[in-house]
Parts: sequence; structure tokens; C-alpha cells
Amino acid sequence: MRYVKLHSEYFPEFFNRLKEVGRVYGPVRHNSTYRFEEVNSIDELSLDYTRTILPPKKFFIRPRDAMFKIQKNEVTEVDGDGKFVLFGVHSCDIHGIKILDKVYLSNPPDPYYERRRKNAFIVGISCMPDEYCFCKSLGTDFAMDGFDIFLHELPDGWLVRVGSVKGHEFVWENQDIFDDVTEEDLRNFKEFEEKRAKAFKKSLNKEGLADILDLAFTSKVWKKYAEKCLGCGNCTIVCPTCRCYEVCDTWVRAYEALRMRRYDSCFMPTHGLVAGGHNFRPTRLDRFRHRYYCKNYFDPEAGFNCVGCGRCDEFCPARIEHVKVLDEVREGLI
Amino acid sequence: MNPYRSYDARIIEVKELTSREKLFSLKFLDNEIEENFTFKPGQFVIVDIRGFGEFPISLCSSPTRRPIQLCIRRVGRMTKFIHKMNEGDIIGIRGPYGNGFPMDLMEGSNLILIAGGLGMAPLRSVLWYAIDSGKYEKIYLFYGTKSYEDILFRDEIIHLLKHGEKLNCHVKLAYEVETPSCIYLERGFSEKVCKGVVTDLFRGEEFDVENSYALICGPPVMYKYVIRELLDRGLSPGRIYMTLERRMRCGVGKCGHCIVGTSVSIKYICKDGPVFTYWDALSTRGLI
Ligand SMILES: Cc1cc2nc3c(=O)[nH]c(=O)nc-3n(C[C@H](O)[C@H](O)[C@H](O)COP(=O)(O)OP(=O)(O)OC[C@H]3O[C@@H](n4cnc5c(N)ncnc54)[C@H](O)[C@@H]3O)c2cc1C
Ligand code: SF4
Ligand code: SF4
Ligand code: FES
Repeated sequence: MRYVKLHSEYFPEFFNRLKEVGRVYGPVRHNSTYRFEEVNSIDELSLDYTRTILPPKKFFIRPRDAMFKIQKNEVTEVDGDGKFVLFGVHSCDIHGIKILDKVYLSNPPDPYYERRRKNAFIVGISCMPDEYCFCKSLGTDFAMDGFDIFLHELPDGWLVRVGSVKGHEFVWENQDIFDDVTEEDLRNFKEFEEKRAKAFKKSLNKEGLADILDLAFTSKVWKKYAEKCLGCGNCTIVCPTCRCYEVCDTWVRAYEALRMRRYDSCFMPTHGLVAGGHNFRPTRLDRFRHRYYCKNYFDPEAGFNCVGCGRCDEFCPARIEHVKVLDEVREGLI
Repeated sequence: MNPYRSYDARIIEVKELTSREKLFSLKFLDNEIEENFTFKPGQFVIVDIRGFGEFPISLCSSPTRRPIQLCIRRVGRMTKFIHKMNEGDIIGIRGPYGNGFPMDLMEGSNLILIAGGLGMAPLRSVLWYAIDSGKYEKIYLFYGTKSYEDILFRDEIIHLLKHGEKLNCHVKLAYEVETPSCIYLERGFSEKVCKGVVTDLFRGEEFDVENSYALICGPPVMYKYVIRELLDRGLSPGRIYMTLERRMRCGVGKCGHCIVGTSVSIKYICKDGPVFTYWDALSTRGLI
């Protein structure tokens, strides 16, 4: 990894240079929530944000996304937009993108996703956890790859980690605004990381979790929470690793339709419905449990499908807490 | 390459099989695709009616034969739409998808095909492939239908009831609703046709369980009973293959609809299946 330093005084210039790479999207505050939006100046950014409502997945798998334009029998692929910068992505969200990569770039690669991934320049940023974060226990609190450059906050600027060829190129071409890292910077970096590690309030006991959950299929805890759950699907829409989609053709004018895909959620009763009215997950209990099994599927190579970002807790209107449900299921087993 | 793009195919023949099912014969417009389109019995395609939507359908013809055929039951919006289409109309086809049955592995063994209702569609592909290739010991087909009127590929089934033994193929049929036609059929083939459900057809049959494979396709309720019958006879779970259905959108493991299983084992029906063994069912909750 290459490390360089970005002094605070160069920060505005750094931002301007990023704008030359492509449109810049970053976290913007809206009352008590944050969203990734297009930003034109650093004043619009909220770099000390906790989490955005929708994770960066919305730039790669859009909530509504046109795939093809259909005119009679003529089908043309809808092209993606140009280059863009995702500014200020937290480590957990970078891990979320890596999980999506595994699905969308595996054979056969999804061309829409692949194109947007190639077009994206990802700038990571360090953060302080709040009461919902539990990324530390999942090992997603630090990103070793999956970004182009990563900014770590220092008292007088940023320690920059360069994570890809694209990142190298950017730093190379903009040498004038970067400096070498000093020993003091490293000390400050270490201090920040130590302070951050101590700030986590929530943790997930993942010891043997996958097997425990599998064994607890009939646990009463699922039932208890499925009764509290409103089935709204918020937890799936905001999750950086949830990516179920539905496809439908919509007519835009006579003889012209768009084949669209849009977010779907396994909390919707239609998710497991097939023709003839047979539903493979007919009850809320089936659907509630399914989400936990999907998020906590343990891939020996890549770990869990949850990155501990805490969105599902923050945006659940029934105040159902992910870690608490899992802990209770574990306790209920013995 | 966009894996969601379908190829143009012309409907070259529409045949009414029953009041609900039609058989569509297709030819790709592009000659190269038409010549090179191959698949394994048990695989499926996604049918694309441009401007209206897509849905998965099993290939019901044998890869040894042309044209490729799809047997489609009219159940809802999209299938109703295609039922109104005629010879000459163009649809889109993408695929083939899924793993299909391991036809090579099963060479030299007995094949026991067990079909319930529409389950006959994918198994017809296996049936004709096995008959055409001549590489299998003996082929059994146990087919359970609601009534005489619901028998899919009725001509072929009756032909096989009559002449199947010459093709090394032993066909039996169970029907649930008694109608004059059924009684007539039963009289003609008293050994092979009876009133009852598909498991009733096992009565009096002896298989060499060491050298047989069972291939099952039918409505979700059927699997449990058929599998119990096969296990009771000593067939190993690894020799029991079944093909499953789920809601599907992408067909290539992206849209998430067909995911089953739990934290230790998740399977995509579209790409890990739709054919699974009973071992898979034992290790993946919710598969059947
Ligand atoms: C691997 C596989 C192989 C198959 N092989 C065959 C076969 O050989 N022959 C055959 O006849 N069938 C087969 N099927 C079943 C076939 O795919 C369905 O019958 C077909 O999709 C029905 O489509 P429909 O639009 O007519 O039915 P509908 O009932 O209208 O829709 C199908 C499903 O989509 C849902 N749906 C429709 N529109 C919407 C919407 N706008 N929003 C939300 N949900 C919606 C419905 O609720 C239903 O669950 C197979 C299925 C699979 C998975
Ligand atoms: S399950 Fe919840 S905590 Fe885990 S990644 Fe999804 S939204 Fe974040
Ligand atoms: S956000 Fe909460 S209430 Fe809504 S579906 Fe998820 S768990 Fe249920
Ligand atoms: S059909 Fe989309 S994931 Fe299987």
C-alpha cells in the first residue's frame, strides 16, 4: 500500500481535482439523516456523518433501473452514465460493495453493474461508530481493498491510503497537493484507530453463529419478533448487501417500452409467490426468518452477508435490533 | 455480452395439448444460434415477450431433436398472453439455464422418471433423450395426472403404452378423476393404467436399486411421498434427482428470488439447480 498525506489546506483543491474525475457524490445532511447526493462544493458535505439512509449500492444497483429499450421487436441496451466519484464511503459500505461484487461480477457478469463499477472512483473515509454500529465484530471496520483512495482523519489533514491503480494514477497526477507521511502522522493515525476501537458499543457474537442459527430453525424467538415486525421491508432496502430485484416492462409511449428492474424485498408476500398462487414463504414468520438466514449465510471464503452498518436497526419502525434477535436465538437454543 | 438479452425466435407451431397447456415449437431467427443451441434435459429458458415481461419455462423437447419445444400452462398474465400468440409470431428466448440432469453419469443405468401433472414437461426431455440415445438400461415412466383430459403429450404416452417395450421404455399412468376415457384406457392397458396417485404405480414393480436413478418432477406436495417410497425401496438419496421450481426473474443468480436455505447452506435454484439430489434436500432447509 502507498501512503501519502493530504494537508487540510489542500483539501479544497483536492476536492476540485476529484471533480475532474467525474461527478462527485458525497454524504449530505437532511435534518437527522444523511444521503449520498451530488455535491459541488465541500460546504455541502457532512464528512462526520454516521450512515446514509441508502448505502452506496444505489449507484451500482439503482432503485429503479432501465435495462432495455423495447420498440416493437427492436431491443437496445440502455447505456450507463459516465465516470463518477463516490466521496466519503465508510469501511463497512466498502465491504458491502465487495459482497455485491461477488454476486454481480461472478459469471455471467451483470453488464450494468460492471460498467458502473468501472466508472466509479471510490474515496473511503474514516469514521467514529455510533450506538448502532457493530462492524468491528464482523471484521468490516477496516477496508484493505475495494477503494481507490482512503482518507484517515488526522488533526491537521488526512492520511491517504492508495488502494488501486486508479488511486495511484490520481495521486501520481496530483503530486503537488500530497506530502510524505511523517512519524507524527503515523502516531496520530494509530491514536485515532485506538480511540475508534474503544468507541464501539455493540458487538455481535459470531462464534459458530451460522450453525447455531441453522439449528434454531424452529426457535420461538423468530415467532416473537415476526409478530412485532411490520413487514415494511425497510431493513432490506437500506441494507448494503440486500439486492433482490424485480423486473417489469413499462410503456413510455405507444410502441415503446422500457424493461425496468427495481428493488424487491423478501418481506413482500409476492417475493416467493409463483404461478397458481403457491407461495414458498407464505407467512411473515417465514419471511422474517429468511432475511436473517440470508444475511447470516456464512461463506467460508468471504464471511457473512452482513457488514454491521446498523442501518436495519436505525430505520426499523418496530425497533427490532438485529444483534439482539441473533443473541436471543442463540440463547434460546440451549 | 449482456446475459439478459434474449434471442429472437419464431413460433413455428402451436399445438393444443389440453385445455390449459399448449406446446410451442420454436426456431431461432439467427441460423447460427439455431444450429448451436444445445442444452441438457432438465434445463430451462427464460421466455421474453418484449414489452410485457419474462418467465421461466423448461425445455420439454429432447436435445436430440428439433425444433425446440416449450409446453406452457396458462396460469396468469404472461402465460395467458403467449397462449394468444400464433405461428409466425416472434418471442425472445434466453438460456439455457440451470444444471440439468446428469445424463452422462446415469448412462448404463435404469431411469425411473416420476412425473406429476406439468412435471411431465421437463421429464419429456429426459425421456426422449434416453430413448434416442439408447444408452440407458431400462426407462420407466410413472406419470400421475388429474384426468384423461389432462394427460400431456397424450398421443406419445398412448404410443408408449402400446409400443414402449420395443423402445426399452415401460410407461405407467395413474389418474385421479374417473371419466369414460380413462376407464377405456384402463381396460386397454390393465397392467399399466390405474386410478390413484403416482405412488400407486410403484406397486408390483421391482428395481435394481444399485443400478437405478429416480428423476422426479411434479407439484410441491408430491416430492415427500415419492421420495419416501423410493427410500423405502432402498434407493440411495444420491440416486434421487428432483427438479424444483421457484419464482425466478434473472435466471443467472442475481435477482435473489430463488434463494433457499439457511446460514450454513444457501442455494440458488436457478444456477445450483433446478435439479438437486435428495442429499441436497437434506442439507439445505426449505429445498423441498
Ligand atoms: C425452472 C422453471 C421451469 C418451469 N417450467 C415450466 C414449464 O415447462 N411449463 C409451464 O407451464 N410452466 C413452467 N414454469 C412455471 C412458469 O414459470 C409460470 O407458470 C409462469 O411464470 C407464470 O407466469 P404468469 O405471468 O402467467 O403467471 P402470473 O401468476 O401472472 O405471474 C407469475 C408470478 O409472478 C407474479 N407476478 C406477476 N406479475 C407481477 C407483478 N407485476 N408484481 C409482482 N408479482 C407479479 C405472480 O404473483 C406469480 O407468482 C416453470 C418455472 C420454473 C421456475
Ligand atoms: S443486515 Fe443490517 S447491519 Fe447488516 S449490513 Fe444489512 S443493514 Fe447493515
Ligand atoms: S424494518 Fe423492521 S418492521 Fe420493517 S420489515 Fe424489517 S424488521 Fe420488520
Ligand atoms: S432467478 Fe434470479 S437469482 Fe435465481
